[in-house]
Amino acid sequence: MTFPKINLVVIGHKDHGKSTLIGRLLYDSNAISEQKLQEVEAELKKAGDEGFRFAFLLDTLEEERRGRLTIDIMQTPFRTEKHLYTIIDCPGHREFMKKMFTGASQADAALLVVSAKEGIQDQTKQHAFLVRTLGIQQLIIAVNKMDEANYEEVRFKEICNDLVPILSSLGYRNPPIVPLSALKGENVFKKTRKMPWYRGSSLIETLDRTVRPLAPPIDKPLRACVQDVYEIDGKKIVVCKILTGILEEGEVVNFDPSGQAGLVMKIEMFGKEIEKAGSGDSVGLIVNELREAKRGQVISHPQNRAKVVRSFVSDIVLFSGFQLRNNDVLVIRCGTAENECKVQGILERIDPINLTLDAKSPEVLNSGDVGRILFSPLKPMCVEKYSEFPELGRFVVEGKSGTAAAGIVLETETAEVN
Amino acid sequence: MSRHNVNDEYLEGLEKKSIAIIREAKAQFSNPAALWSTGKDSTATLWLCKKAFFGKVPFPIIHIDTGRKFPEIYEFRNRLAREWDFHLIIARNEEAMKKGVSAEKDRFECCTLLKTQALKNLLEKEKFDALILAIRRDEHGIRAKERYYSPRDEDFKWNYEDQPAEMWDLYVKPSEDFSHMRVHPILHWTELNVWQYTKREKLPVNPLYFANNGKRYRSLGCQPCTVPITSNAQTIDEIVKELETSRIPERAGRAQDKEKAYMMQKLRSLGYM
Repeated sequence: MTFPKINLVVIGHKDHGKSTLIGRLLYDSNAISEQKLQEVEAELKKAGDEGFRFAFLLDTLEEERRGRLTIDIMQTPFRTEKHLYTIIDCPGHREFMKKMFTGASQADAALLVVSAKEGIQDQTKQHAFLVRTLGIQQLIIAVNKMDEANYEEVRFKEICNDLVPILSSLGYRNPPIVPLSALKGENVFKKTRKMPWYRGSSLIETLDRTVRPLAPPIDKPLRACVQDVYEIDGKKIVVCKILTGILEEGEVVNFDPSGQAGLVMKIEMFGKEIEKAGSGDSVGLIVNELREAKRGQVISHPQNRAKVVRSFVSDIVLFSGFQLRNNDVLVIRCGTAENECKVQGILERIDPINLTLDAKSPEVLNSGDVGRILFSPLKPMCVEKYSEFPELGRFVVEGKSGTAAAGIVLETETAEVN
Repeated sequence: MSRHNVNDEYLEGLEKKSIAIIREAKAQFSNPAALWSTGKDSTATLWLCKKAFFGKVPFPIIHIDTGRKFPEIYEFRNRLAREWDFHLIIARNEEAMKKGVSAEKDRFECCTLLKTQALKNLLEKEKFDALILAIRRDEHGIRAKERYYSPRDEDFKWNYEDQPAEMWDLYVKPSEDFSHMRVHPILHWTELNVWQYTKREKLPVNPLYFANNGKRYRSLGCQPCTVPITSNAQTIDEIVKELETSRIPERAGRAQDKEKAYMMQKLRSLGYM
């Protein structure tokens, strides 16, 4: 039996209890080894600290244990009746955005933790907005620290009333909201008796019931990215990753943006004879009558060609230290391609905390900003809408020292194709 | 730790992702290499490299030899290098060995000089710009913080506080800012997955993993610092069964993980694996 795997990113404001909740989930599901528990207990005794017990299970780095701040993400799995969850703990402190984006980019769903005591804070809104911008469609909310609010229904309802309109404006309609106490273990695994007014399920039951692993896109039209070309025993093998759909031997395919067509003579996998490959597969292709295959090209069938675009609109998140102005030329990586694109226009800047439109057509986007940009590639480029082909609808901007920004494609304008 | 049964499809999914990561390293870096300890993880990774390149690994495979390895490791290494037809480079810090550096004197220094420094010396000579390593997240808390592509600076330091963002599968590219990239293709595999894959692919297994006189090794370090566990498991199936019921972590027999708190973290920040 295979348990469907779900990557879950845990987000929320600093000190609202993200790490404690994750620690509790791992501890109660027996995902933590005996040795680790003992290690942590020994450390805590030394430090004279009883409080942050569960969070310490995750905070392996010395600095984290000392500072009680989660510095980096950690992928730790646990199993329930239905799924195998890999949890990505996200730091809530303002400075650690890069790490949060990394975590969120690997997630199928997000768990937003809000403290019942403090209520909605800056990063509560900001994180929800950012995961939305990065394309995460499944969101569950945990209203934590109910023990500090005396498990009162009034407080829970207050928070729900504040949250719902904000999330709705982001496109999260009717996300499940679960009251709990991570520290005391109330309503995390088992339904609690402390909140008789609560009609819903425990957090685990809610997760199992509402979160779905993202379905492999076999039914979509074919899209594959050329990763490399190898020469083996005199044969040229085009190595590619199939993103969506199915490819079979004997089919004619196009390589865009060059527009060339070729016949797939053979699909190669070491040690295996196969005649077709589908989304998720990394295979080699022997293609006839192809002038030149190279890294960055997108493979598709003639009846549903990959889009070669003249321009595209995207939502983009800037990492720290990066600034963007109108007319800048940026290096954008999408799929296996890398292209220079001009900032044709900064359409909007959005304040990620207040979620308001900051300015229409601003001249500059600063580090930490979220904006909507119109890009035009300097050379023909294949890009798709994130809603249709996620792997070809998401990109990063290469800065001087690595990834400077990340974005999702909302709209495309097709160029004339030869 | 609770385990679950996996089927072929699951293992294939793990494999596909790893192969894509390995191919990406070859595409983006001009002079990659892979580390191999002859252990189950790096042997599985070496096999994945063979698969990724349709049988012939196009870059060197490095064995860091501290001179204190089990004899079974040397035998296994030499045999597989012949059978799998790859270019093997053996890295040794001869100078430190001559000086008599040892774990008995100072374990931290021994690891640092005989392993990390040996690797540094080799990198300086060969100028590899990417190193493929078989570490996994579930091996140790510190390794769980790693990324698939993780840069190292001139001093081999791992700047875990300020790692570059790794968005989706758009991995960090080469840059003058770093000395080399560490590439971790099996980061998402568990200990159990490695055994399941080894069985499925019928990969050769170092005999140290199997029980001899009621003892076997769960993790292979150097001879002075690796402690065997009590076990009668003599086949992969028996090992898997043992793992499914054990709550003892894999590296429990590895002294470097224990000694001083955060020793592994410190070692890693100085360039260890």
